[in-house]
Amino acid sequence: MWKTILRRLLIMIPQLIILSLLVFLLAKMMPGDPFSGSINPNTDPKQIEALRRAAGLYDPWYVQYFRWVGNLFHGDLGTSYIQHVPVTSLIADRASNTFWLSLLTTILTYSIAIPLGITSGRHQDQWQDTSVRIFNYITLATPGFVFYILGLWLFGFTLGWFPISGSVSASASGFWGVLGSRIYHMILPAILYALITTTGTVQYLRTGIVDNKVEDYVRTARSKGVPENIVFHKHILRNSLLPIAAFLGNTITGLLSGSMIIESVFSYPGMGKLFLDSIGQRDYTTLTALILIFGILTLIGNLLSDIIMSIIDPRIRIQ
Amino acid sequence: MKKAKLFAGITLLSSVALTLAACGKSESRSDESKTASKFKEVVPTKAAKKGGTVKVAVETDTPFTGIFNDELSTSATDTEVMQYGAESLFGTDDHYVFNNKGAATIKVDQKAKTVTVEIKKGVKWSDGKQVTAKDYEYAYEIIANKDTKSQRYTSSLADLEGLQEYHEGKAKTISGFEMPDGENGRKAVLHFKTMRPGMNTSGNGYIWEAAAPYHYLKDVKFKDLMSSDKIRKKPLFFGPYKLQKLVRGQSTTWVPNEYYYKGKPKLSKITATVINPNSVAQSIKSRKFDVTQVINSQWKNVKDTKGVNFIAKIPLQYSYLGFKVGKWDAKKGENVMDPKSKMNNKALRQAIGYGMNVNEVYKRYSYGLSFRIPTLIPAQFGDYFDKNIKGYTYNIKKGNEILDKAGFKKKGTYRVQPNGKPLTIRLAAMTGNSTAEPIVQNYIQQWKKLGLNVKLTSGRLIEFNSFYDKVQNDDPSVDMFIGAWSLSSEPSPNDLYGAKAPMNYSRFVTPENTKLLNEMDSQKAFNHKYRVEKFHEWQKYMFDEAYVIPVANSYSITAVNKKLTGYSLKPSDSMGNGFPNWYNVAYAK
Repeated sequence: MWKTILRRLLIMIPQLIILSLLVFLLAKMMPGDPFSGSINPNTDPKQIEALRRAAGLYDPWYVQYFRWVGNLFHGDLGTSYIQHVPVTSLIADRASNTFWLSLLTTILTYSIAIPLGITSGRHQDQWQDTSVRIFNYITLATPGFVFYILGLWLFGFTLGWFPISGSVSASASGFWGVLGSRIYHMILPAILYALITTTGTVQYLRTGIVDNKVEDYVRTARSKGVPENIVFHKHILRNSLLPIAAFLGNTITGLLSGSMIIESVFSYPGMGKLFLDSIGQRDYTTLTALILIFGILTLIGNLLSDIIMSIIDPRIRIQ
Repeated sequence: MKKAKLFAGITLLSSVALTLAACGKSESRSDESKTASKFKEVVPTKAAKKGGTVKVAVETDTPFTGIFNDELSTSATDTEVMQYGAESLFGTDDHYVFNNKGAATIKVDQKAKTVTVEIKKGVKWSDGKQVTAKDYEYAYEIIANKDTKSQRYTSSLADLEGLQEYHEGKAKTISGFEMPDGENGRKAVLHFKTMRPGMNTSGNGYIWEAAAPYHYLKDVKFKDLMSSDKIRKKPLFFGPYKLQKLVRGQSTTWVPNEYYYKGKPKLSKITATVINPNSVAQSIKSRKFDVTQVINSQWKNVKDTKGVNFIAKIPLQYSYLGFKVGKWDAKKGENVMDPKSKMNNKALRQAIGYGMNVNEVYKRYSYGLSFRIPTLIPAQFGDYFDKNIKGYTYNIKKGNEILDKAGFKKKGTYRVQPNGKPLTIRLAAMTGNSTAEPIVQNYIQQWKKLGLNVKLTSGRLIEFNSFYDKVQNDDPSVDMFIGAWSLSSEPSPNDLYGAKAPMNYSRFVTPENTKLLNEMDSQKAFNHKYRVEKFHEWQKYMFDEAYVIPVANSYSITAVNKKLTGYSLKPSDSMGNGFPNWYNVAYAK
């Protein structure tokens, strides 16, 4: 087991090198650079050129790449071209926003999806199942951005129950005031996001339960006289949760990557929004740092998932 | 080069966005002059009372950077969120000419080659310290010192004696900046190499118009200034309000600056909060904010909102059609015209101009909030604008005549070049909102009526960065392009159309053009009448040659809570920073 983990970690190194190289080159290939947005009749192109040169944008790509990698090893992700603060502080700021929003979303997602999946699987083809499936089709078919904007319009503007943008209100003060305001700002995006991401979980759970219900070991348990409730919870449900556990690793690491769409709609300053903005503004340092972080998170997520699976399902033992 | 604050604070991106955003769906419009009188620039004046909070919407896709310093800031949004405190040194009249109603007086002496600036007594930073001559000089040092990485240093500013030497590190002080009463005095005499006729106008680019608190910032090293807390979190201003609270990237909260030289402002608080541009129409309708900038394409949704006053100004900006007739020579630092280039044919350019049905297009797509402009000098510049030039009004018949006469014969659907070669013109245009595409397609259809085969570069509209990448680098796949400029408040077009101007994207250079541009900014042009004459001559010349055809401008509309008084978009009412004078804004009794 430990050997496997170690081997997986070692494989990650070349993966990360290739990723970083690709990320870096693709970022450089985008037309424009961090300074092209600030060209107007009131800046002197000579000064902009001088700043470009000072920022090392005219060095050959490999020089730039190795400078970047060198800094990475010192834990220095560089300074944002646009924000003029260290990228690490920028990301730390945004990551905490994203983390709390994602955590709330994930809790909500599971607390909606698991009961729905269980109901649906248990009462297969009955009215409960039909209603859950209808709900599922609707959430699957609705594009996220439409749903979020609709929710924003209804609850944010028309009813005025929730704030429409940002992560904290300008007038909030004091520890509790700020905390309350932060939570208040997260509720609507979290609920909307959770509602629309339940589809997968509900479907996997339902299918799992439906399939497991007719398995031999379930029939055996029943014929032994095990009470129906125990058959369901111990034998059927446990096995049906496996596919969900398979995603758990990525769900955990996903807490930090955020969602571009929901963060954009709500102008919520998280990682997804930062990623989008850094593309638009050609903020290379932020952009490359973020992609690298996302890449690492995905790799770790996969590893975590495998480890979790091997712990809970003895049939899957990685060699 | 011009000064980069205020109007100029708008970058290419936002000016383009504004221009394109100004095109909405159909609604009929009478004519330009009628639309102009549709909006007032000022909300009705009422008796003011003390107190109250004003909530202002800051419309942006991206969180603001928050560099609260005019010398270092590069983003228009930063300028917007600090407008409540960041007052400029000088006030202006409605044509942007300096008057002495601001925080400092200014006197331009052509003979002595000096500009004397005297900061008024009682103009104090929000910590109670008098603004001094050294504070003004420090602004220059921040700009010119290479360590600060300021983008504001320009060859125009270097007209100040000794600034270049300071910039290059050859001098420790700026020799041309004289402080007759010492550092703590209020008087500064600036010595210039060459005096320019535009120097009495805000935004002229030769005279910096802001000050930086030396006593507060002097302990911060220049290289750390941009990221220092004294700039990013706790900045000092001498305007009517001071920063009380900042939520990074999201909001700023302002309270009265009790040391403000005109007296204590009336509002008890102002908050400026970022909202997504997509939410603007709903925000206006549900009155989430007291001051909101209208996005023109959403005008139909918001125009009937009760409880708000809609006021507007015509910003200093325009969109234009440029023809590529040469290349930028980076080594020599000048534009080189290619007399053999495809678009270097006056008749062809003129015909293309006559083929654009700008008014019809904007009638259909912008609720009449955008309109055709006749010349490259906007009407807001008063007598510099030549009102006798009618510009390229839609006239297919005339366009066809011109082309026939110039030997562009028709072969099938399309015309061929006078030398018999086929003619395909590739147009580069930027992506914008949903109406950008139909507008461009419409022009292409009109040009087809002239027998001109116009195709889009890359086959579709191009994203902002790629667009300017192609246009700036004279990509051979661009024959003509639709771009946009936001202008400085000093009208000289030298930086955009001069022989040595890198932003002369058409790359046209003619002796006549160079002569006229030089005359406009010559010593003789200190005579206002002479300068106006030259401006008019240049506009006529540019109209005739049509290297660049002005296309359109749009209203910039603000929705203001009806209960507010004193909110004005007039340049003369501004704090010299292009934004309303917040000292005058209050709730009505």
